[in-house]
Amino acid sequence: MNEQNAPPDQMLVHGSLMVGFAQACVNLNIVAGRDATNFIKGLQINDWYPLAQWERLQELVVRSYGNVDPIMVKVGIAMMTGWYHYGPGKEVVRRGASFLHYQTGSGGFASVVRGPESVVGSFELELFDKSRGKAIVHSTTPFNRKMECGVLIGGMLAPGDIDYVDVRNDEDSDHLVVEFH
Amino acid sequence: MSQPITLEDVLSKNETELLAQLSEKELARLYWKFRGLAKTLERDTAFWNSTNENLKVAYETLDEKERELAAAYHIIRDDLEVAQSVQSALLPRMFATMASELELGVYHKQLTEVGGDYFDYFRTASDRYAIGVFDISGHGVSSALVMAYLKAQFMTIMERLENPAEIVEWVNRASYEFLREVRKYATVNFVTFEESTLHYVCGGGYGLLLGADGQEHIFEKKNHFLGLRQKPYLEEQLPFVVGDLLVLYTDGMVEAQNLEGKDYSVARLNDVVRRHRTLPTEEIVRLCVEDYHSFRTQDSDDITLLIARKTA
Repeated sequence: MNEQNAPPDQMLVHGSLMVGFAQACVNLNIVAGRDATNFIKGLQINDWYPLAQWERLQELVVRSYGNVDPIMVKVGIAMMTGWYHYGPGKEVVRRGASFLHYQTGSGGFASVVRGPESVVGSFELELFDKSRGKAIVHSTTPFNRKMECGVLIGGMLAPGDIDYVDVRNDEDSDHLVVEFH
Repeated sequence: MSQPITLEDVLSKNETELLAQLSEKELARLYWKFRGLAKTLERDTAFWNSTNENLKVAYETLDEKERELAAAYHIIRDDLEVAQSVQSALLPRMFATMASELELGVYHKQLTEVGGDYFDYFRTASDRYAIGVFDISGHGVSSALVMAYLKAQFMTIMERLENPAEIVEWVNRASYEFLREVRKYATVNFVTFEESTLHYVCGGGYGLLLGADGQEHIFEKKNHFLGLRQKPYLEEQLPFVVGDLLVLYTDGMVEAQNLEGKDYSVARLNDVVRRHRTLPTEEIVRLCVEDYHSFRTQDSDDITLLIARKTA
């Protein structure tokens, strides 16, 4: 479905995110065979899709695994690795730490979703302390938090200048605590 | 003044003694690089554990499905064995008049547990007898059910009509709608026997009469299959006296192929019968089957071969 066909007050997800997610799942063999073909079939990188379609895509993975958290982290990392090395990532992010600013700014999360703020939520950098190697991102998006942890890890590691990144949300699932060195 | 040693120098030169010359900053980088690798390993291990767990569940599910499938197969297998014994019970036994005048040899084999080749012996209204050989289209259970249906039709009419063309026509008329509905048809080779003649209706299948006097007659296929058309059947009459040999068969043997894709053929089967025509009919059948087995790679259809010699 493209933008024109979607109801105006509905949240929309950009095709690049859908394709990135689906391609990462296929590359990691999380979905395989006929499922993999159906998974990616018909997705257009420049179209906008209703949130429900994203949720269906995500649900296909979530329902297949007893412990899906490590899977979603890995998918997030794979998405951003692909984005950086085979997509536009290199052009917009030079250093690992700056990915945090990019992803929480207008070019990141905000550029791949559209719709009412109450549904879209936000992805904000609450704390950034480079000297201590610590940052906190507050997320209220409808996306899987572990995938978002993976997105931050993958995006920060991709430029290759950071030796260590960990992102945890154990204490409060919406607060993604980033440690980097 | 020499450049300070960096972590990259140590790694690229592969000289561990250079580690002692690293600055504190470089040692810290080494520490975090190591921690980074350990963290990556931790994430990868968690990922693989999760996928392994998923595989384990998938294997368990597969195992359960396999057990269900095996149970279902067992039920089907049992049903087929019952069907096979039912179909065997439907095959005929010679009755007194027949046994006193004919020496019979039969080879009958269904491709699967049950099938669509069918032969039968009938008592006619005038207490004579008849033989029918039929091949119902397709194989397996559906053909076997049609076979049982056709047998019932013949049993219904045999004691009321005498003439083979009338009998076959009646069965065709009675079965026509049913066969059309189930999309089946059947070849028919139906022969009634008098004192010194036989009358046959041939709509598919094969028939050969080898006279004791050396004359041969190949059955003419002048008629249509059961269930294909509704029009009268034509019958032929031939002499059938003591010593004459009648051979009836379906296409199962003659259309089977060897490794080169060549058919066993009517000519080859008829030739084997000719060469051994003086032997007991069961022996002729055995030799035909032996020759067939030496030729074909595998069976591809139900098989019926019936050889009858007039003895009195």
